[in-house]
Formats: sequence, C-alpha cells, structure tokens
Amino acid sequence: MYQAEIRKPLVTGGKSYADVTNDICRPIENKPSSSWWLGFSVALVLLLVLIGTLGWTTWEGIGTWGVNKTVMWGWDITNFVFWIGIGHAGTLISAILLLFRQKWRMSINRSAEAMTIFAVLCAAVFPLFHMGRVWLGYWPLPLPNAFGSLWVNFNSPLLWDVFAISTYFSVSLVFWYLGLIPDIATVRDRAKSKGRKFWYGFFAMGWNGSARTWARYEVVALILAGISTPLVLSVHTIVSFDFATSVIPGWHTTIFPPYFVAGAIFSGFGMVLTLLLVARHVMGYQDYITSEHLEAMCKVILLTGSIVGLAYITEFVIAAYSGYEYEQYAFMNRMFGPYAWAYWTMMTCNLIAPQVFWSKWARTTPWFIFIISIIVNIGMWFERFVIIVTSLHRDFLPSSWVMYKPTWVEAGIFAGTLGLFFTLFFLFAKFLPVINMSEVKTIIKDKE
Amino acid sequence: MGHHTITEITEEKYHFNGRSKMIAIVLLVLGLVLAGIGAMQVQNHWNDAQTEEVATEHAEGAHHNETPAEHHGEAAGEHEAGTHDEHGANWMSRVWANLLMNSYYFLLFAVGALFFLAVNYVANAGWATLLKRIAEAMTSYIAVGFVILFAVIVLAKDQFYHWVTYFDQGLAPGDAGYDGILESKSWLLNSTSLYFLIPFIVIVWYGIRMKLRQNSIKEDQEGGLGYFRNSIRWSAGFIFFFAFSFSALSWLVIMSIDAHWYSTMFSVYNFAVTFVTSLSVMMMILLYLKNKGYMEMVSDEVVHDLGKFMFAFCVFWGYIFLGQWLLIWYANLPEETVYFAARLEGIYRPMFFVNIFMCFLLPFLVLMMRNAKRNPLVLLVAGLLILVGHWVDVYLMVMPGVVGDHASIGLLEIGTTLAFAGLFIYIVLNSLSKANLYAKNHPYILESANHDVGP
Repeated sequence: MYQAEIRKPLVTGGKSYADVTNDICRPIENKPSSSWWLGFSVALVLLLVLIGTLGWTTWEGIGTWGVNKTVMWGWDITNFVFWIGIGHAGTLISAILLLFRQKWRMSINRSAEAMTIFAVLCAAVFPLFHMGRVWLGYWPLPLPNAFGSLWVNFNSPLLWDVFAISTYFSVSLVFWYLGLIPDIATVRDRAKSKGRKFWYGFFAMGWNGSARTWARYEVVALILAGISTPLVLSVHTIVSFDFATSVIPGWHTTIFPPYFVAGAIFSGFGMVLTLLLVARHVMGYQDYITSEHLEAMCKVILLTGSIVGLAYITEFVIAAYSGYEYEQYAFMNRMFGPYAWAYWTMMTCNLIAPQVFWSKWARTTPWFIFIISIIVNIGMWFERFVIIVTSLHRDFLPSSWVMYKPTWVEAGIFAGTLGLFFTLFFLFAKFLPVINMSEVKTIIKDKE
Repeated sequence: MGHHTITEITEEKYHFNGRSKMIAIVLLVLGLVLAGIGAMQVQNHWNDAQTEEVATEHAEGAHHNETPAEHHGEAAGEHEAGTHDEHGANWMSRVWANLLMNSYYFLLFAVGALFFLAVNYVANAGWATLLKRIAEAMTSYIAVGFVILFAVIVLAKDQFYHWVTYFDQGLAPGDAGYDGILESKSWLLNSTSLYFLIPFIVIVWYGIRMKLRQNSIKEDQEGGLGYFRNSIRWSAGFIFFFAFSFSALSWLVIMSIDAHWYSTMFSVYNFAVTFVTSLSVMMMILLYLKNKGYMEMVSDEVVHDLGKFMFAFCVFWGYIFLGQWLLIWYANLPEETVYFAARLEGIYRPMFFVNIFMCFLLPFLVLMMRNAKRNPLVLLVAGLLILVGHWVDVYLMVMPGVVGDHASIGLLEIGTTLAFAGLFIYIVLNSLSKANLYAKNHPYILESANHDVGP
C-alpha cells in the first residue's frame, strides 16, 4: 500500500525480524529482574488483602461495608464501573482501531487486551460479593427454579449486564488467546527446557505456521474483531442503563450511553498509558512503543476527555434548562454539597487536566504523560463515585438523607483488586510476549 | 494487487454549465412554484377545516406542550390568542415551519462536510484526500444557508417558539397563564441567544471554513507542508469549538420549539443526523461527478470506504436514537414521554416508523455487503434512503411543535424541499468549479489515489 513521504516509521531503531523475536522473548526466557520481583511482591501482598477483606465480607456480611439503605450502592459499584471502563481501551485498540486501519495499535494491542481481561475479572468481584451469598453467585443466570433460584427479571438492566459482561469477557479472552497462539509457538520453538517445551507447546495448540493455518487464523481474527466492535459499545451502554433507566435525578439522563462509552475509553487509555510507560521503560521497548505511539494515545485521551467534558457540561446546562427542580438540586448538590470536593476533583482531573495535551511537548514527554495518566485514572474513579453517591445520598425524601463513608473493608477490597490486577499483569509480562511479535514483524518497514 | 502505483495527479476542473446549471435553476424555480401552489392549497384547506378542528381540539383536550390552539389563537381565553392574530392567517405557520426545517436540514449538510474535512486533518487520514474538494464545496453553502435560516428565525420566531410569545407578555407570578417552567429557562431562551449567540457560532464556523479553504487553494498554488500543518491546527480547534457550539445551536434552534421538553442526548442526536446526511450528500455528488466522467482517479476503493462511513454512521444514528428513545420509554416520566407521545399520533405515527426504517434498518441491510458499497446504483439508493429518511427525521423534530395536528405532506413540503435542493446544488457545484477537483499538493493525495481497502 502506498504511503506518503511525511509519515513516520512505526518501529524505530532499524530492527530486523530476528531482533523483534529476540527483544520480545528476552523477558520470558531470562530470570525476572529485581524490579519485577519487587513489583510482583507488592501486588501479591495487595492480593492477600483482597482475599482477606472478601473473606471477612463473606463471613460477616455486607454490614461490614459503609453502604446503607439510602446509599445502597457505594464503592462497590463505583469500583465495578471503574474496572469495566478500564477494560474498554483494550477492545478499542484491538477492534475499532483495526477497522480504522491504525497500524500503530500493533505494538500495544497485546498488553491492552490483557489489561481488558484482568480489569473485567476485577470488576466481576464487586457485584458477585455484593450479593452477600457469593456461593449462590450463579443465581443471576436464567436457570430453572429447580436450582433453587428464582427466574430472573429480564426487564432489569442489571440482568442485561450479566449477559453483556460475560459475553464481553468470553470474546475478549478468545480474541486475546487467539492472537497469542503464533507467538506462543515462537516461544515454544525456542524453548530449551522440557517443561517450557511442554507448556508452550500445549498452549500453542499445534500451531505449525503453514499458509493454510495462517489463512484460517486471519479470517477468525477478523470475525472476532467485527464481533468485538459492537460489544465494546454495548457493554458500557448497558452499564450506563443500570443508572439511566431509573428515575433518580442525576442518573436518568439520555446522554448516558455515549457518554459512558467515551468515559470508558478515556479511563482505559489512562490505564494503558500508565502500564505501557512503565513496561516500555523497564523492558527497554522504546523502539516498539515509540513517542509516536505515546502521542497518538495522548490525542485519544484529549479527544475522549473533551467528549466527557462536553457530556458534563451538557448534563449541567440541560439540568439548569429542564425546569425540573429535583434534577437541578442534584446538580447543585454535586457542585456545592457535602461531596463537592469529589465533584471538583472529577472536573479538574477529567476535563481540565487532559487539555495539556494540546501541547506537543506534553504529548511526547513520558514522565509528564505518566503523571497525567494517573490523574485521569483518579478522575475517572471519582466520576463514578460522584454519579453514584451524590445522586443517592440525598434522595426525594429528606428524612432519609445520609452521608456515605466507606469502611476499611471496602477500601481493602478496592486496594485488593489493584493487587489482583497487577499480579495478573506481572505474571503476563513474565510468561507471555507483551508485544505481538508476528504482527509487529509485518510493520517493521511500515509507517504510521 | 494488479494495478500499478499512481505517482502523479492529473489536473482536472469541473465545468458548471449548461444542463447542470439548468437543472439546479429549474429545481429552484419549480420548487418555489410548487411551494406557492401548495401554500395556497394549505390556506384554502385551513380555512375550510377551521370550524371543525376547533371543536375536536376542545373535545380532545391538550395532549402536548404546544396544542395547535396555542398557535391558532382560536380558543377564547388562550393567553397567546392576541399575539398570534396580529400575524394574520395561521396557515403561515406551516409555510414557516417548512422553511425552518429545510433551511436547518440543508445547513447540516454543509456543516457536516466541514466536520469531515477537519476530522481528516486531525486524524492524519489519507484515504479521503481526493474527496476533499467536494467537502470544501459543500461547506460553501454555510453562508447562504445560514442567512436563510437566520432570516427565517428572525421573521417567524413567534411562530416557532411559543416561549417568544410567552415572554412578550411579561407575566408575573400569580397571573393567569404564568408558566414557571418557561420562566426558569429565560437565561437561555431569550432574544440575545437568538440574535447574537446563533450568528456568533456560525460566523466562527464559517471563519474557520474560509481559513481551511484558503489554505487548501494556496497549497495548490505554492505547495509545501506549511498550509497542511496550519490546517491541522485550525481543524483541531474547530472540532473542539464545534462540539460545544453545535450542541447550543441544536438546543436553541430545534429543541426549544418544544420548550418544555428536554433531553441531554438531543445535541448528539442532531450531530448523528448531520454527519450521516453530509456523508450521503458527498456520496451523491461523487457519483454524479463520476457519472459525468470527472474524478476518474477516485477508485472503487475510496468509494467503498465512503460507503463504509455511511454504513457506520447509520448504525451510530440507530444507536443514538435507541439510547434516547429507550431511556425515555423505560423511565416513563410524563415530562419526557410527552415528546414521543406527540410523535406517535395522527400523521406523525407512520412517519415515526418510516424514519426508523429509512434511517437505520433499510440502509443497514442495503449497505451491509461488500459489493453494495462498490456499486453506484446501490449506493444511490442507500443515499436517497438516508437523505429522505432524515428529512422525515427533521420534519418530526420541527412540525409537531409548530403546526401540531395540522401537519401534512403536500405540494408545499415537496416544493420547499426542491427549492432548497436547487439552491444547494447551484451553490455547491458553482463552488466546486472554482478550484481543481483534486487538492494536488496535499501530502496525502497519492495515498488516496493508490488507496486499497484490503481484504
């Protein structure tokens, strides 16, 4: 395909095909570095916190959380939506950017997709344990009453969530694993020890690299990308329905579906940047994840951050315009009520902070991008907190007005999911190729 | 791939003369004549039906925010009766409503084309570079289109916006007919917004359009990357400004017709209409030019990708429609459902479903196959479906609030639309003939000429 002169190369440093394989297999084939051990240990400790706090919740009950009859959803759903949102960047990169023929996705799609899967796992923890009796966690499935459960309510967006998220998880997992197969086969072929030969051979599923295998592989990948695109939109649309189908002021607003999707991509790219900036630095992948990649991702942050900002302002203006006093009160309460600090944190982090990416310096300076990416993560967490808690804590009945404070158990569970997420990510970085070798080899002579 | 790489762009100019010019002028004149005849028909019919309608209205009671009675000034005791009588016969509401919806609808094509240009710059996209001049020509309609829209709003604001007549009365709390909800909107719904905010928004858009066009023409003459880079900056600024200002424009011009009703999705919905219709118009112009033997360099590959965009934004519109509709239906709050209730009765009911079929379901099926997006005839059909479908869409946004159950589709509607189409075609093709058909020094032009959609 013809490419204009002014386009910049996708992979720098004049890498050869052999270099790609050697560079990307190095962390898998060598002993992990001390920084890996350090990070992994911290993540593992947090994972133990998760197990402990979840155990305590299960043993003692939901009473260990700060939720009450007015604020019946607190940190649990905040964290659920936060993690689901994080996952969206992976699918956006692997499916939607594929449809837009954005080749720069190729060196970041593997880790972004892994992140999607780990984030969805973290998200699943919250609704599952909020049900109280986690051993009955299969009850939301439409099972015959003989299982002891009641027939599910198909009118409820919460049930739609069950289907949307489990479908999303399955398709993402299959898509990710499918993409891994040729690379796992490469690792298998280079393996020296018996154990490695067996395990990588097992997961490579007899990949032989023949033209026929590749042809089938590419067809399946394209079909999965096609399925993933509407899926990624539907998942967060349905998550937004959890709120927007209600009649709660601040929740019931028609812009929620596209606004949640944009917010999810925004938060997901924040997390992708956080992870990749570290991975790139620690593993020395500056030639694969170049400053062009960082710049492109920063532009996505700027775009989606501005869309989210537009949605905030639209919601606010229309609430003011609505002439509906409950809606107006909900927004005044957000801005000037007892949780105003959360609202202004959200506005600063999500609307104002990403605007620095209008500057090219900001888009190409890794340490600065890292700071902004953390700010975006914080801001998007606060967005969900603001939507959920400020709309609930002062409802239609002033006698029920309360404040919500999370307990140490809830804080522990949230910190614990970070542990789960990073434990999985560290394991992934150790045992699997974090960059898609076979795809990158197709573009080392290519331009953006 | 079998074909060789193209390394040079041929210079080509479109000649706007003879038959094309004639067709545009005939459309304009014919449209005006038909609209005139239609308006007279409406006038006669309106007077005939008057007595009977008043009786039924009172029997049925008021369903929606703007019962026709408000606009007639017929019903005794209606607070707006006096103001409306001054404007003479009420059949003019329908004439004005037609002018409003068509001037808005055709302006959207031009604005959408400007958005398309800007997006291509910002996204560093190469494939559509050969189509750039078509989009540029479409944006030239913004000036004329806006002057018409603004004139219509200024001349007939009391016909469209019942809040205008309401605020003219200056009622105090406790007065008969005092409307607390409208009062609370006076910070946005006022003449400053109409007279200053709307022109300000469009003047900024047009200013950026002039800059982009100027850069593009100079790039043709002088070459170099300077104009390209400068255009990227202006485009990024435009998209940012556009997102906020287009929202405000759609609220003021259209949403405030049903002034009691509100929806946060409304501006996104209008954006969806804008982009999909302007892509379809672009496709129509491209097919016309190719049919006339111009734009041979635009291969099926580029046509295919433009078809994909039409397909994608049909789906996007469907998504936004569903998002708005489903949430309002599910929550079932009377202050929100009133909007759709008005659109699900009388003449609007069939149109409501026609709208969904023509804007989403049919084009979705028609454009799904790969070959469909490479077949001019199929693309023509899909484009017409989308354009007529969204005409119905805008009709449904405007008419229920302005003319209520007096709406109908007759010579007036057809004529007005034809006249606007003639004007739009004349201005756009005239602008197209002013510059090369290809932006020959654009850095991505050869990418577009050698474009390949892949497997």
